[in-house]
Amino acid sequence: MAATRERKVPALVDKPMDFCPGCGHGIVSRLIMEALEELDQLDNIIFPIGVGCSSNLGAGLECDRLHCCHGRAGAVATGMKRVSPDTLVVSYQGDGDAYNIGIAETFNAAYRNENITVIVINNTNFGMTGGQMSLTTMEGQKTSTSIYGRDCSVTGYPIRFPEIVAREFPGAAYAARGTVTNPANINKLKGYIKNALQAQLNHEGYSIVEVLSPCPINWGLTPVKAMERIEKELIPYYPIGEFKKRGEEQK
Amino acid sequence: MAEMMKGNEAIAEAAVRAGARFYAGYPITPSSEIMEYLSWRMAEVGGSFVQAESELAGINMVIGASACGVRALTASSGPGISLKQEGISTLCDEGLPAVVITQVRYGNGLGTLFTAQCDYNRETRGGGQGDYRCIVLCPSSVQEFVDLMLPAYELSEKYRIVVVMMGEGTLGQMMEPVTLPDFVETKRTPWALTGKYDYKKIGIFERDSRKEAVELREKYAAIKENEQRWFDEGVEDADYVFVAYGVPGRATLGAIRELRAEGEKVGLIRPITAWPFPEKAFAKINPACKGVITVEENATGQLVDDAALYIKKTHKDRNIPAYALTYVYNTPPIRSIKADYHRIKNGEVKEVY
Amino acid sequence: MREIVFAGSGGQGVLTVGLIISDIAATEGLNVTWVPSYGSAMRGGTANCTVKYCAENYIYNPSQEQPDLLLAMNEPSLHMFLPIVAPGGTVLVGDTVTIPDDARQDVTYVHVNCTEIATSLGNPKGANVVMTGAVVKLMGDFTKEAAIAAMNHMFEKKGKSKFNESNAKAFDAGYNAVECLTNASCVR
Repeated sequence: MAATRERKVPALVDKPMDFCPGCGHGIVSRLIMEALEELDQLDNIIFPIGVGCSSNLGAGLECDRLHCCHGRAGAVATGMKRVSPDTLVVSYQGDGDAYNIGIAETFNAAYRNENITVIVINNTNFGMTGGQMSLTTMEGQKTSTSIYGRDCSVTGYPIRFPEIVAREFPGAAYAARGTVTNPANINKLKGYIKNALQAQLNHEGYSIVEVLSPCPINWGLTPVKAMERIEKELIPYYPIGEFKKRGEEQK
Repeated sequence: MAEMMKGNEAIAEAAVRAGARFYAGYPITPSSEIMEYLSWRMAEVGGSFVQAESELAGINMVIGASACGVRALTASSGPGISLKQEGISTLCDEGLPAVVITQVRYGNGLGTLFTAQCDYNRETRGGGQGDYRCIVLCPSSVQEFVDLMLPAYELSEKYRIVVVMMGEGTLGQMMEPVTLPDFVETKRTPWALTGKYDYKKIGIFERDSRKEAVELREKYAAIKENEQRWFDEGVEDADYVFVAYGVPGRATLGAIRELRAEGEKVGLIRPITAWPFPEKAFAKINPACKGVITVEENATGQLVDDAALYIKKTHKDRNIPAYALTYVYNTPPIRSIKADYHRIKNGEVKEVY
Repeated sequence: MREIVFAGSGGQGVLTVGLIISDIAATEGLNVTWVPSYGSAMRGGTANCTVKYCAENYIYNPSQEQPDLLLAMNEPSLHMFLPIVAPGGTVLVGDTVTIPDDARQDVTYVHVNCTEIATSLGNPKGANVVMTGAVVKLMGDFTKEAAIAAMNHMFEKKGKSKFNESNAKAFDAGYNAVECLTNASCVR
């Protein structure tokens, strides 16, 4: 039983990416690439990529991709998909990009039921610019723009966008939230991503997968403690699972 | 036979015939009929149309379609074009071609709906962040607008740059007899994203910015050298040369022809590219010319800056004055242009430069 | 070069009168421009358009300058545009418009009771077409037959050919109304 399997790098990844130690982005990137490989879509994929830590995805890939203006990936993806209906279009964005500055584009792409897949890495802050508060920052969470802890009475409450999609957009194909805290959750997340991509391949409509992802540097926690925070603090507010399953009867 | 057509509808049909197969935009007077027309027309020719949630989204959808190699279009006016500036800068940065139509209306902020030429500075200087310009075409009739749609796409693809069609409210709303061009066949551009990664130079991810800066300088120098377009008449022996584009440009043509018939030695340069500015036309101006006069639909005088710059550059030995005749709310009547010319000639109007 | 301003309240069909005259001129092979008021300028208030046509020259300035003829279908339009009518020009007004006593004297005023005429023809919505006939007669640039043929062709292109007969009657009535006016009854 001594056999150790060689770690296989997904075909679409050609360079190391610049994510911080303990960051969840790398795991999610790998899962997306594995899912594409398993769905035999390695030469049929375009990534419109958001601004923020998500941008680092672009630097490590060897495939068609475009760095979008901050928040506008939902619109760019719409333009791409409308003229390339048979090519997979997957936007890769953080919570600041997709929800704060980009909520109009994110919301309206879902509202129109564009046949695209949206992956949102939710680390409850603006990672790239130094950990400022975002729409997904938890109540009481200290960030560089909420140094006493987020006061939801003046900033609003953390947004749960996949739930909005599942509840309000009857045409949407798929909405789920996963996380990367342990192998079981990672496997589940990969299933969600594959489901979302399959929905798009089947022309079923809009699909979104949000990922609760650790940001140890900006949270001021060790990587292990950051994972623990997700389990203890985030999942109770941001439940993981499929909110709208593929193939469910459309209302 | 030429048919009476509304400007915006003729322009939209001309865009389709020039190969535009994607439109995204947001309604705004006086450009809305372009999107109304394309909302049904695109489907007929196998293209796509999206009524975007905002001008921001509209231009970013154009980015997506252009990145996938399709001739893409958006149209707007005043504040809508301001909202598109980040996207236009991005298109220029990524080397993505697109055509942006603006039917200019007067005013700051929300402004008014009246036809105008108040956005000359924004369009000709590259209105967004960074170090770029757009090629700016400024037709003076519906027919010229229609005839420039194909060259607009060809220029935008040749230089991988945004081409702004700078119209005016009047050009969108008026009707004139128009002969439409034939349809052209188009293919996806060779640098299109296809999902197969068969074109490797993509976005900011695989670029050498220092090398690119040199290429950028060379590209803009080539555009300035090769792409100046204008109409001129009577400039070689003129005492005064008018400079005007768009609808005021054609009104001024009427004015100089009447003035010539009355014995006045006047000429006209009507820029067809506002950028690159037609410097070569200025080199033809009579060395003994007494002044250049811009006719503009705005209050503060914008075109006059360029007219002054290029008359000083092409006639270095003499300090030829530059005057601005600025008119707000509608194209000036020909008789007003003529009366104001006589005021300049009589020394009643102070030069701007 | 000929310039006509068509003005009235929204719904009176003045833009359509301008369009018909433009199409007649274009059908005759003339250079033509039609420039409307648009946007909020049209909401609730007056609508207007300017038509220019000529045989020889390019139309340099399509915008309003100095009309040879003003069609004013309501009083606000009369007051707005009377000052720019060319000296010696013509001002055509409908039944609801009264010319003030102190109005300028260097233009000719013509009344055509277009609504009354249209109603008597059983076509109350055709008042603007009555005025189209009156405009063609006053301008004197086109024959009645050619004008009616061009007008009908324009409506055919819009899929409205079923109105051709009633439109031709209304046009004819407006044309004849001007023709029958004695100087005493039409000129103030």
